Amino acid sequence: MKQISAPKRISRIKFGLISPREYRNMSVTRIITADTYDEDGFPIDMGLMDPRLGVIDPGLRCKTCNGRAGECPGHFGHIELVAPCVHVGFAKQIRNLLRSTCRSCSRLLLDAGRKKEYIEQIAARRSQGQTIDSPVEYVFAEASKVEVCPYCGEHQLKITYEKPTTYYEDGDKQLPSDIRNWFEHIPDEDLPVFGIDPNNARPEWMILTVLPVPPVTVRPSIILQTGQRSEDDLTHKLVDIIRINQRFQENKEAGAPQLIIEDLWELLQYHVTTFMDNSVSGIPPARHRSGRSLKTLSQRLKGKEGRFRGNLSGKRVNFSARTVISPDPNLSINEVGIPEAIARELTVTFKVVPRNIEELREYVRRGPVNHPGANYVVRTDGHRLRISDTTREEIADMLEYGWFVDRHLKEGDIVLFNRQPSLHKMSIMAHEVRVMPGKTFRLNPAVCPPYNADFDGDEMNLHVQQNEEARAEAAILMRVQENILSPRFGGPIIGGIHDHITGMFLLTREKAIDKNSALEILRKSGVRDLPQPDYIEDGTPYWTGKQIFSQILPEGLNLEYNAEICEECDECKKENCPNDAYVVISNGELLCGTIDEKSIGAFKGKIVNKIVREFGTAAGAAFIDNMTNLAIRGIMYHGFSFGIDDEDIPKEAVKQIQEINKDAMYGKESIASLIDKYEHNELESLPGRSSEETLELRIMQILGRVRDEAGDKAGLHLGIDNSAVAMAVSGARGSMLNLAQMAACVGQQSVRGARIQRGYSGRTLPHFKKGDRGAEAHGFVQASYKSGLSPVEYFFHAIGGREGLVDTAVRTSQSGYLQRRMVNALQDLEAQHDGTVRDTRGMIVQAKYGEDGVDPSRGFDRYHIQRIVKDVMEAPE
Amino acid sequence: MLDRKKLSSAYFTKNKIVQHQIDSFDEFIGHGLQKVVDEMGIIETEIGDASSGTKTYVRLETVSVGHPVVKEADGAVDRLFPSDARLRNLTYSAPINLTMTVVQDGVESDPKSVEIGVTPIMLRSKACNLYGLTDAEIQSHGEDPLDPGGYFITNGTERVIMTLEDLAPNKIMTEMDHRYGDRVEIAKVFSERYGYRALTVVERGRKSILEVSFPSLPGRINFVVLVRALGLETDKDLVDAVSDDPDIREFMKENLEEAVNLGVFTQENALEELGSVVATRQAREYQTRRIGYVLDRYLLPHLGNSEEERMVKAHYLARMAEACFELAIGRRNVDDKDHYANKRLKLAGNLMEDLFRVSFNRLARDIKYQIERASMRKRELNIMTVIRPDVLTQRIVYPLATGNWVGGRTGVAQLLDRTDQISSLSHLRRVISPLSRTQPHFEARDLHPTQWGRLCPSETPEGPNCGLVKNFAQMVELSTGLEDTETIRNELHAYGVSAV
Repeated sequence: MKQISAPKRISRIKFGLISPREYRNMSVTRIITADTYDEDGFPIDMGLMDPRLGVIDPGLRCKTCNGRAGECPGHFGHIELVAPCVHVGFAKQIRNLLRSTCRSCSRLLLDAGRKKEYIEQIAARRSQGQTIDSPVEYVFAEASKVEVCPYCGEHQLKITYEKPTTYYEDGDKQLPSDIRNWFEHIPDEDLPVFGIDPNNARPEWMILTVLPVPPVTVRPSIILQTGQRSEDDLTHKLVDIIRINQRFQENKEAGAPQLIIEDLWELLQYHVTTFMDNSVSGIPPARHRSGRSLKTLSQRLKGKEGRFRGNLSGKRVNFSARTVISPDPNLSINEVGIPEAIARELTVTFKVVPRNIEELREYVRRGPVNHPGANYVVRTDGHRLRISDTTREEIADMLEYGWFVDRHLKEGDIVLFNRQPSLHKMSIMAHEVRVMPGKTFRLNPAVCPPYNADFDGDEMNLHVQQNEEARAEAAILMRVQENILSPRFGGPIIGGIHDHITGMFLLTREKAIDKNSALEILRKSGVRDLPQPDYIEDGTPYWTGKQIFSQILPEGLNLEYNAEICEECDECKKENCPNDAYVVISNGELLCGTIDEKSIGAFKGKIVNKIVREFGTAAGAAFIDNMTNLAIRGIMYHGFSFGIDDEDIPKEAVKQIQEINKDAMYGKESIASLIDKYEHNELESLPGRSSEETLELRIMQILGRVRDEAGDKAGLHLGIDNSAVAMAVSGARGSMLNLAQMAACVGQQSVRGARIQRGYSGRTLPHFKKGDRGAEAHGFVQASYKSGLSPVEYFFHAIGGREGLVDTAVRTSQSGYLQRRMVNALQDLEAQHDGTVRDTRGMIVQAKYGEDGVDPSRGFDRYHIQRIVKDVMEAPE
Repeated sequence: MLDRKKLSSAYFTKNKIVQHQIDSFDEFIGHGLQKVVDEMGIIETEIGDASSGTKTYVRLETVSVGHPVVKEADGAVDRLFPSDARLRNLTYSAPINLTMTVVQDGVESDPKSVEIGVTPIMLRSKACNLYGLTDAEIQSHGEDPLDPGGYFITNGTERVIMTLEDLAPNKIMTEMDHRYGDRVEIAKVFSERYGYRALTVVERGRKSILEVSFPSLPGRINFVVLVRALGLETDKDLVDAVSDDPDIREFMKENLEEAVNLGVFTQENALEELGSVVATRQAREYQTRRIGYVLDRYLLPHLGNSEEERMVKAHYLARMAEACFELAIGRRNVDDKDHYANKRLKLAGNLMEDLFRVSFNRLARDIKYQIERASMRKRELNIMTVIRPDVLTQRIVYPLATGNWVGGRTGVAQLLDRTDQISSLSHLRRVISPLSRTQPHFEARDLHPTQWGRLCPSETPEGPNCGLVKNFAQMVELSTGLEDTETIRNELHAYGVSAV
């Protein structure tokens, strides 16, 4: 085989048609028999499996290029078609050409002036790098309308086209040979008008006289277990073509009547058409004996599993693993736990050099079964040796400089970790390996948000890079700690979640913690020393939760903000906030305020944000690790649970809630009065609404208010010491609305934003009177989850719940498609060194990346500015 | 107050849970098979001459099903029990016997009962070998007395025929559509007869002109022309048939004018006009023959397929037209397709009937071919030799084993979910909708209030099938359609309703 020379830059690609002569020149043999193998199993010469077409059987050599299977790319053959056939791919083009050229002299049906104009227009667009589709379309449109040829004066007939490959001229069928003859006479100088370059294509080549036979490597036959050969679909199709071609030939030579000839011609055309595309409309797809439709050329390329989307845009890879994920809070956010079985299978290749020979020798000696071992070595001559339990000692002794060793994945290696759908760059991040027992990938729950992962059976993929550059790039750019701040909104996407937030919330509100407990809480965060105690009582020192939290804050950290629990009072009392919602951190010490979602949560955490920006990503990662550990200890110290009795509210409150309900139904400003007004046509319509819509809107308003008021009533009796309130207020999970639904009133159920209206005629359920517009009849659930729903309420609730379920199911499929369209539209855009974003032609799409050139995850943010202002103001003169 | 506990436990006796499956299958064995055979009546052949009364044909009489058996390799025939079928990868099936009489040269031979094939038998149905056994006996046959049955065993695998939910056939449904900015009122009916479904549509387009479309008809045709062709000839008859409401009669005027524009005044005119539509560029004689065939066969087949029913069809079309107009002037609303009154369930028995009908037609064609071949070779006609039971058996067992039903529906028969007892029970009570799961279909997926008491509000899968796959409510009872039209006819007649 020829040696591949230095890489070359592609400056342009030219598309053209292949001429029959070229087909014959590139062909290694003409194919004349439809048979493939003779009785002895040898390929027949000039048959479809001619040995000159390439090799597929291992061990044999190609008769044309002498290459082995795998080396030989295969070589085309050809079939001489007895009669020309239309190429389906050009069927529309042929129609257009028939309509735009003269039936007698074959010249373009436009006068010289118009022709020149169009040629210039096309040339101009070409030089600007634009497509020439639209002027060519105009040419066809204009020329098709011409009735008399401007050159020979011939009257033009109407061309009709019938899918897929039939043309009529005023109802007379045009044989492909006639069309070919017509096209042959189109002068070269007319072609540019149609966007055809006469040096690369001639219109008559759209009608095939020679059919290229793809090499056997393109259509390999497979041998079944029974020893039978099973041919590829393309081969089957070629057999059909050759058979008909032969029969056609015989009939033609025997002088068969025109009718039979035409039938055969049509059959040949059918086979040639389906050979290229078996899904064209207008003809039935060619089928296999079993009834399955054949997969021919265009089916190989089209669609999701086609060559482009299935094998070129996306492909299967080696050195990857996939399994279920599970949480392990003991890992750092930078780490990933990998089952030993996977670590033994995935390898990293190292070249043997003096510096590492002993280390690598040890891996080889340990073999493929003992974990940090090795699976393969590659000798200097390129030969690959599998290490087995019996050969490992021997191979280890042989190891030389210049060999390569495929070592097991081990502790500290950098790997890529990914969860689909990969919607943003944080969907693939680099982690450090920790090999562990078990069968799942383990990850720190704090990195769930960027992957959008949970542990209800999610699976994730792992990729091991195979060269140093890739590993370096991953370690520097893709490590988890480099991605704590999201470029989407410039805040942390990794941070405390759920129990971390509750834990921190409870810990930083803790007033008296004795020494033992304090040390225990801090133990996992690596803090060994305690500050001065907050106070001493009866000789025992006590520390506050804030002091303990301060131990993991870096020195020099200064922050001041309102916490999540802030109630946004009219006048902020700052440090004296009654809710302890004003956070002040000075020089790494939490002076006041409660730590909650706003401080350490993913998406919001201000402390995380600040540490990453000012103290670096490593400090950020360390903080998240320490903080999560501290939070978990904190929540365990405090103790945290939630049960049905946490939703208990006093009897009076229940009564009050019922009162609210009753009032809304029948009171003064009630639904009943609204309906009454509506029925007496006294209801004032809102602008742009019918009175019926107004009524619905007003009712919805009242019912919304009922739920809120009921919730507030219940909330009065549920303090911050209630677990659900603590979670809702701190931002860990749930909301006060959820709590209100549990304790007070579930509220109105809706379908697509409106009350439930469908059902029986005039009413939703037979439990109600016809025409009832009241709250209960249209899905208002007065009960709370705790008190339990009535059957009717339960059913309405199920209706509302079903909508949510359907929504999530439908949305996931839609977002995938949206993503695909976005990727297709944007994939070629690139940010250049000069800050512009350009497409592949070098055209500027954005003068500055993101219009401001700022990376929100790195640039100055307003906290910086506030700090600078503060620093300047407070600086000693 | 009623003791609901008692009621519940009455419903939860072990047979109640899949009663719908078993009842439906029993109905198929008891009446469905005979119905399909009667539809066919006789198998005609090309031998002999009808005019001289020497035509050879086979008359089909009673059909019956035996009990599940296994035919061993040595020819022995044994009673088969489900546990054996499962363990030995057999099909739990029973022979179908059909009594046939051959009529040759006008001479009737003795009726003979022949095995025409086998059909899989639903466990615990009347034909099942476990039927009527005590728990102890069931146990002695290796079966769990608590297993509800209601499924089949093909090649050793347990198969459930899913209950299919479909829009009610033979019911006029109104719809509103928009075409190029114009409001179009549509009255649709899925007309069904003997498993053949034909969608007939009447729509009120621009200028209130009514148009009708039905299968084998290219595009839409004028309503007045069609009805006139069916026999409602005079303007008065036509308008009276549609409505006696003055507003609607006003609309009809425009339609009658349109017919004048088309030059259609008489039934003959109308038939000619339609003939040129169904068989363009054909001989006039063929056109008239063709349009007659099309009107009888493809237009509203549920009303009948002979010439006598044309008038009934005309009146039915008039009802549809009235529905369009009523919708247009706001006297009625668009029908709610998701209302459960507009749904019908196809159970195992109905589906087996569809399957049997297609397979039996195939068998009949094969018998015809075999008889003709036998007569060509001058062999004596023996009914036993011309029947190849495999033809039928193959076509019944294969769809059940793969789930690929006749009519290209897939997933009809599914492998019984044996994850646990509950999942099996749930699987036997599942209802699937034929709507495609790739399209949103928000409204069809919603829980509709009319599903109260019929379908479970909670149990539906998450994901793409959400709301399309449903499950029966705890205490659902299924009513079956009435095949006996005669009784209804008499009853109506007693109320003073007269036939068209």
